[in-house]
Formats: sequence, structure tokens, C-alpha cells
Amino acid sequence: MKAQGTDQNMRKAKSSIQRSENWAGILFALPTILGFTIFALGPMVASLIMSFSNYSVSSSFKLLGLANYRKMFSGQDPYFYKSLGVTLYYVAFSVPASVVFSFVIALLMNQKIRFKALFRTIYYLPSIVPVVAMSAVWVWILNPDLGLANTILKSLGLPTSAWLFAEGSVIPTMVGIDLWTIGSTMVIFLAALQDIPAHMYEAVEIDGGGAFARLIHITIPLMTPAIFFNLIIGFINGFQAFTKAYVMTGGGPHNASLFFILYLYREGFVFSRLGSACAIAWVLFLIIGLLSAVFFKTSKKWVYYGGE
Amino acid sequence: MRRQQMIAVILAMTFLAAGSLWAAGGKEQATQPKAERVKLTMTFWGSPMEKKAIEDAVASYEKKMGNVDVETIHVPSSGTEFLVKLNAMIASGDAPDISYSSSWKNKMGQDGIIYNFYDLLAKDPIAKKDDWLQTCWWNWAPDKSAGPIQANVTPSLMYNADMFKEAGVEPPPTKVSQAWSWDKFVEVARKMTIDTKGRNALDPSFDPKNIKQFGVMFALNWYTYMPFVYSNGGDYLSADRKALGLAEPAATQAIQRIADLINVYHVHPSPVQKDSMPAPATALQSRKIAMYIDGSWNHLDLAQSGINWGVGVLPIDKNYSTFLFGGSLIIFKSTKHLAETWELYKWITNPDTTLGMFQSIWMPVQTAWYTKPELVEKWASEKLPARPKGFQDAVMRSAFEHQRRNPELDVINFPEIDPLVASALDQVWLGTKTAEQALTEAKKTVDPLVKGTYFND
Repeated sequence: MKAQGTDQNMRKAKSSIQRSENWAGILFALPTILGFTIFALGPMVASLIMSFSNYSVSSSFKLLGLANYRKMFSGQDPYFYKSLGVTLYYVAFSVPASVVFSFVIALLMNQKIRFKALFRTIYYLPSIVPVVAMSAVWVWILNPDLGLANTILKSLGLPTSAWLFAEGSVIPTMVGIDLWTIGSTMVIFLAALQDIPAHMYEAVEIDGGGAFARLIHITIPLMTPAIFFNLIIGFINGFQAFTKAYVMTGGGPHNASLFFILYLYREGFVFSRLGSACAIAWVLFLIIGLLSAVFFKTSKKWVYYGGE
Repeated sequence: MRRQQMIAVILAMTFLAAGSLWAAGGKEQATQPKAERVKLTMTFWGSPMEKKAIEDAVASYEKKMGNVDVETIHVPSSGTEFLVKLNAMIASGDAPDISYSSSWKNKMGQDGIIYNFYDLLAKDPIAKKDDWLQTCWWNWAPDKSAGPIQANVTPSLMYNADMFKEAGVEPPPTKVSQAWSWDKFVEVARKMTIDTKGRNALDPSFDPKNIKQFGVMFALNWYTYMPFVYSNGGDYLSADRKALGLAEPAATQAIQRIADLINVYHVHPSPVQKDSMPAPATALQSRKIAMYIDGSWNHLDLAQSGINWGVGVLPIDKNYSTFLFGGSLIIFKSTKHLAETWELYKWITNPDTTLGMFQSIWMPVQTAWYTKPELVEKWASEKLPARPKGFQDAVMRSAFEHQRRNPELDVINFPEIDPLVASALDQVWLGTKTAEQALTEAKKTVDPLVKGTYFND
């Protein structure tokens, strides 16, 4: 009996400590909580309400129900399906390409080679160039008439391309440009690679496995968390691609690079239909949310977390 | 526990301190003494030359008024950038008092955020409605107007006269009665297109892949192809005004001819080459282009370029059609100084007070300035640097006598329809589709947006 009493007292004391710790924790988190509520949650709720309205810069506010959404999905809006298609095509192409490419580069950077630090810096460097500046430079490099790219191809006797100026080649060209800026993805892979314990490789070697076996049985399985992370991030960023198209093509030619966000921007700020732009933003949010959920669900089958 | 509480208190105090500082900052601003002077904001676009011209006009206005300061906000491009900037200003409750405007203004009129010009005119009858040219009105309803075009910048054919002289080719005529046929125009353009080996486009061994100098370049916008569409019997909308008229044969034929300049005759830069071309005046000056078809605002830059340039009538030998073209100055209802803003409006749009602009970059929109010789002499005298020989026939009279109402003034939903048409035409200029194919396809998306015209004449 007595022993039980002490136990209860202790539990009480513990819970009061816990409670005050909880308070302190919440207080410490308050800047983030406030920041999120004021700068993210508030605007999100506002935009959800606006998405059901005719909200524009100049007209008076009127709720329209689902009209904005209906306009999009019914195909009445000439740009919705087009931009959705363009964005999906871009994401499906760009994300795997970037992840595979940066993975390979990271593997190379992880070898015992000379000037390792220099190479790592060189490959990372393009990532610190602002996208606008980078895009402006690429526009010149890829100018079909005077640009460096076609001049080199011509001098080698190879066929040239219209790059950003043809409907068929504009998205592949942008994916190519993306491969140039894989610095951050590469760094994440490098960090993960260096986390792989050397004794695992030794185990493969003892079993008589070569470089390929090491890659398949050790490197890739242990890298799956990093691969998963980069896939998710790349995919979310891919859906939100904007600057490249805005600077380089303006969505053209013939809307072949009209990314979803560029379409949203036009709807909101060019056609002044902010309500409709909010609806577009929510559709994008739902698409990204849904696909992320699918990713996370399937990730259990192939992502390996040590210790699980 | 103590320490945690302390930290919590410190954290809370930091918040409070930051908050009160913020509030204090706001208060300080609010208690600043109100300026006696009137401050206006004006947003506008244009080339560096136009920017300077407008700033000079505004400075002379400030001098005349004495107590008014005008903040001019210049956005280089008249395209979407301008509207985005303006929308952001309006959304943040910081709309300008007066602004340049393009076809999106009609929506602003319908939404009631800009003044109806007719109301302002009724209060201060500076002129009668009929004193302005009939085709220059921006109206969103029969009795609701965003004003007349503030200044006309009609489509104009400009050329480098020295290049013609050196090639021994007769330059474009200045009289409508002598205007070139399209075939003649193509022939001249071919003569004036030279490859890197010095051969012109009529030469059988001409190399279209290495062109040094192009015979002609269009701005490739509605305001350069529409004169050709009109004169060919076409129109922007169908006769019943319920569908895209540009998809009909009379229009596609005219547009196809322009595309053929690029892809068949190689006398016009491709959209790709066009992208790296300098502004029209520079393109003519640097001899990349011999003839340029674009708005007449380029006359100012051409006059400043110091080259020997000329103007001609458009190559239309039958049913010559052209139009007045330009935005209007809109006044926002949010202005706190309507009187001063209206004075600024009058100052800028009155050819007498801003004569320098009407002698170079702009053309008047009042009938008298086209018909009374003493007024014509003021702005269109061919002794002026931006008014080359033949200007009065080639630009002034051709526009005055053959004007129609341009589609951006008339077609409802034009700001939505034109981007769809322009995007379809991308393919035509690139040569991947014929005008007929591309515009017939575009018709499907455009037709639901067609809601008739503002004017019913």
C-alpha cells in the first residue's frame, strides 16, 4: 500500500514536470506556430474561400460556389488541361533524370580521385546561380541562330535543334538545363554515401562480390531514404516550376511550356481573376498532396531505414 | 523549472518589445505632418526615349501647376509586366491616379474602378465628343468610355533610305494611290535581302541559312497583320460577330502571305531570329533590316538614331485599310485629387502643350489636327526631324482617310482572345502549320470567348 502511494506521488510530480515542460516547449515553438498560422494557415484559408469566389483586383467580392473549379475541369478554360499535361510531362521526365544523374555524379564524387574537392565545388557551383540569371544565360547558349550550342553542333557536323523554340524540344531542353543544377541533390546523396559503413562493403568483398554487387546490394538499398527524399523534393519542386518558363519562353511556343504555376500566375495577375487563380492553386495543392501520399504509402515497400 | 519560466518570460517580453516597436514605428509615420503639396502617381510604359518625353511633359506640368508633384512609375514593357505591376498596386490599395492603359481597361471600367470619361467631359467640356476621330474611342458600353486613344500610333512602314539608294531599288511609295501590290512588295523585299556572300534573295544561289540583311520585318502582332486582313476582305470576328473571323479564308490568306515572307521567301527573320533582333530603330540603323512594319511610335527613336530613314504606305494596292491605334489615359476613382489629375490628363493629351511628343512619337486624335492646315503644320511639318519626306501622305493622310476601328477597341474579351490567337500564330510563323490549320484549331478554344463587339457600326 505504502509503496503504491509513493509511486502515485512520483507519478504526480512527474506529470507536473511534464506539464511545465510542455508549456515551455510550446512557448519555444511559438514563433514557428505563430509564423505558420499568420503567414501560411491564414492565407491558405483565405485562398480557399477566395477560390469559391469571383475575387479580382477590381470587382466586388461575390461567392460563386464551384464555378471556378467547374470552369477548369469542364475544359471551358483553354489552358487548364494543357498546362496540367505540360507539367506532368515535365515532372515525369525531369525528376527521374535529375535523381539518376545526380546519383551517378555523387557516386563518382565519392571515389578516391584527385582534386575531389575541386570537382565537388564545380558540380555544385551552378546551384548557387540565381535561376533568373541562369535562365538568361541559357537563352543565349541555346539561341538556335547565334547560340553556342548550335554553333558547336554545326562545327562537329551534327544536326542542330531549335531548343526552346520548338514545341517538341522545349521541355526536353528544360530538363537538360535542370541536369546542370543538380548540386543540392548531389550533396544529399554524397552525405548519404559517406554514411554507409565500410564494413558492409568489406562483407561483400569477402563474399567475392565486385563493384556492381556492392552497388546493387549495399549502396542502393542503404541509399533508399536519400533517394526517396530527393524524389519527393524534386517532384514537389517540379510541379511548382515557374521561373525557367517565365524567363526563357513565357510559356511558349504555342503554350508548350505553360507550367501549371505559370498558368496560375497568368490567370491571377494578367487576367486579374484572382479567385480562379486560388482555385488553380488548390487543385495543385491537392494533386501534390495526393501524389505525395501515394509516394509515402509505396515507400514502405522499398525504402530501407536502418534499425527498422 | 525556474529557469524554464525565466526563459518563457524573456521570450514573451521579446515578443512584446518587438510588437511595440513595430507599433511605435507605425505611429511615428502616421503623425508626420501632412504635406501641403498635392502628390500624384502616374504609371506608363515605353522606350527610354518615350520615358524621357513623358517625364519632360510631366515636369512642364508641375511647373505650370506649382503645387503638384507627380511621381512617374515607368515599366519598360507594355505587355503583361505592366498590368501585373498595376494590379499589384491596385490590390495593395495603392492605385495610381492616372495610367497608360491597354485593352484590359474595359474590365476595370465595368468593375467601376476608373472614371467614365464622358462624365469627366460633361463636367469640364474641353471639347465636343465629335471633335475626336470616330474610330478612336475606348468604350465599354455605349455611354461609358475610358476615353479616346490618348495619342495615335498607327501601323507604319519605315525603311532605311540609304540601303535602298545603295541597292538601286525604288523605296516604298508614300501615296495610297501608288501603293505596292503584295507581289511587288515581296519582290522588293527579296531584292533587299542579302546573304553573307552578298547575293540577294532573287539570286538562284542565294543561301537562306546565312542571311546578313533581311528585306522586311513585321512586329508580328495583330496591329501589323490586321490592315492586310481588312484589305483582303477579312475581319477579326465573323460577320455575325459570334465566331473568330480570322479563321475564315480572307483572313488566313492575308496572314499566310506574311508567314510566307519568313518560310518561303526568307526575306523576313524567323521567330527565332527575330528574338535576337534589336529594337526597330536599331535594326534599321544597324542594317539588319531594310523595311520595318510596326507602330509609328518608332519615329521618335528613328529621328534620334541619326540615319537617313523614310516612311511609306503599307503594301496594299486594293481597299487600303488601316486604323488608329493606342492606349488611353485612365483615371482611377481612388484618386484623392481628381481636379489635379484631370488637369494632368488634359496637359498630356493636348497637342498644344505637349507638342514635342506629337511631333515625334505620337499623332493627334482630334479631327481638326488632320484637316486644318495650320494645325497640321504644327505637328506634321516635314521639316521636323521625326517627320520625314512624304510623312503627311504616307502616315497622316493614309491613316485619316482609310481608318477603321481597330479590333482591340471593338472586340469584347479581346485581352483573352488575342493571347490564344497569338499562341496559335506562333506555329504559323514557325512554319509548322498553315494559317488555315492553326486558326481553324484556335477557333475551337476562341469561339466560346467571343461575345460580340462594343460598337455596333
